Amino acid sequence: MSSPFTGVWVVFRRELSTVRRTPGYAVLAVGLLAVLGGLVAVGGGGATGFVPAVVDLLLPAEVLVPLLAVVLGYRALFADVASGELDVIRTYPVSAVGYVLGVLLARVVALVALVGGPFALVGAYVWLTAAPDTGIFATHSGVDSPVLFVRFIALVVPFGAAYLSLSAAVSTIATSRRSAFALGLLALLGGVLGGDLAVLRSLAAGASPGGVAESIALSPNGAFRGLVFEHVIGVAFAPEGGFVDTGRAVASLVGWSVLGIVAAVAAVAFGPRVGVAIERLRGSVRR
Amino acid sequence: MSDRALATLDGVTRAYGGVPVLDGVSLSVGAGVTAVVGPNGSGKSTLLGLLAGAVEPTAGAVRYAEGGPRSRSERCVGYLPQRVPFRDGFTARETLGFYAALVGGDPGGALADVGLGDAAEKRVEELSGGMRRLLGIAQATLGDPAVVVLDEPTSGLDPEMRERAFRAAARAGDDAAVVVSSHDLDLVDAHADAVVVLRRGRVAAVGARDRLLDEHGVDDVAGLYRAVAGRSDDRAPAVAEGEGGGSGGEADDRGEGEAGDPDDGSVHVPGVSDR
Repeated sequence: MSSPFTGVWVVFRRELSTVRRTPGYAVLAVGLLAVLGGLVAVGGGGATGFVPAVVDLLLPAEVLVPLLAVVLGYRALFADVASGELDVIRTYPVSAVGYVLGVLLARVVALVALVGGPFALVGAYVWLTAAPDTGIFATHSGVDSPVLFVRFIALVVPFGAAYLSLSAAVSTIATSRRSAFALGLLALLGGVLGGDLAVLRSLAAGASPGGVAESIALSPNGAFRGLVFEHVIGVAFAPEGGFVDTGRAVASLVGWSVLGIVAAVAAVAFGPRVGVAIERLRGSVRR
Repeated sequence: MSDRALATLDGVTRAYGGVPVLDGVSLSVGAGVTAVVGPNGSGKSTLLGLLAGAVEPTAGAVRYAEGGPRSRSERCVGYLPQRVPFRDGFTARETLGFYAALVGGDPGGALADVGLGDAAEKRVEELSGGMRRLLGIAQATLGDPAVVVLDEPTSGLDPEMRERAFRAAARAGDDAAVVVSSHDLDLVDAHADAVVVLRRGRVAAVGARDRLLDEHGVDDVAGLYRAVAGRSDDRAPAVAEGEGGGSGGEADDRGEGEAGDPDDGSVHVPGVSDR
């Protein structure tokens, strides 16, 4: 007999091993590093400091991080569903929760390495080349500091994790690799553009601009951007803050991740029964 | 072979797109090898998917003597789908090691049991079709499940590999109910303790092999098949079974629609264990 944690751990190890044996992911990480390095170089190089580097990277990060997260996530659960291996795994004593958690935790670890790694390397480059006063570990506002860049990376990971779990969840309803990719792309576009467009629409409809700080935090991108402004960029330049409600933004990022996990678990656990329910409905309509 | 039923289908129906692929099937399987035979599209993969928990019935129920496929304490059902689904990039030992870790099994021993000890370090994509199926059989028997479901384990194999696959299945049948679908009637004749003949989604014959042969006055399973499933009024299935069936066998067995034995809409045949 195996404990629930054994199942999570065994699935986690296999998934991490699968990612490690997929060279395409490493290529993507190198590509991300090249893009990030290029953006910092074009923005004035590492000598400008950590916060200017964050300013240069913020907008690209809002697109590139979700993109890589979707690439990591869109086949995470779909692969086993499509190959039929999930039917085999279901005969073993591992629950749907354990299976999904094992897969997604491994993919999040991969996300930390493949996305966090290039950002960390760019941070190291800035540290090595920045002006002397950027080496101060600031404990108060108004000073550029490596701590601010570490905060930025710490926000990149949950931001990517939200897209990872959402793309994995939507892929469980895909019927082919192509449709899994299309659904992942839809999640990407919906997340990257949907939240901001919804805020703009509400403003155009007459909503109070004072409520933007609250509503912007509801989308993953808005929450991430708000937190970066509040706790990275704003620390150096605007002590008052007020870009976003921190609690709401953190809850938003965590909430999107949890939503993806719950949806994925439901799809894995109850997916076969949905088809049966449809068949029964069809049968009762015919009668 | 024991008469005790280890798995029971009770009035099971499964439809796709409103078309019943299996219709009111009732049978039981006990320890030993039970072969499921029938024309393409007769519902073999769906029947095996139901036993393995990969397919949910639209009506009826599947019951197990020792917990089912969703048991969280131990493995009660082993399953090899028609399309062997293992991930590329992993060796045979790593592949089996993953599954063995979930049930505390011994991957090396399981590989040796099916004659793959020498191929343990080969990657899955480097294995021949026969070796992949043997690996699948090893996987299906890990954890000593009470019911082992093998969907066409000999499909596409050469005669020697077919024999090895059936021998491996028969060994597992010493203690478990091994349910095997196959078109290799000579191997079924040699290894099966019981036979289920499906025809148009319904059970046309079921029982101990020797008893069925006596009842139908035939010498072997091929004769039984011709007598029971090979009637001239058999329509060709709309969708043939074959390699590459999708998850859960959903695409494998669609076919005859409303067809069935006209004299009984919901055949309840005494099971293999004479339930």
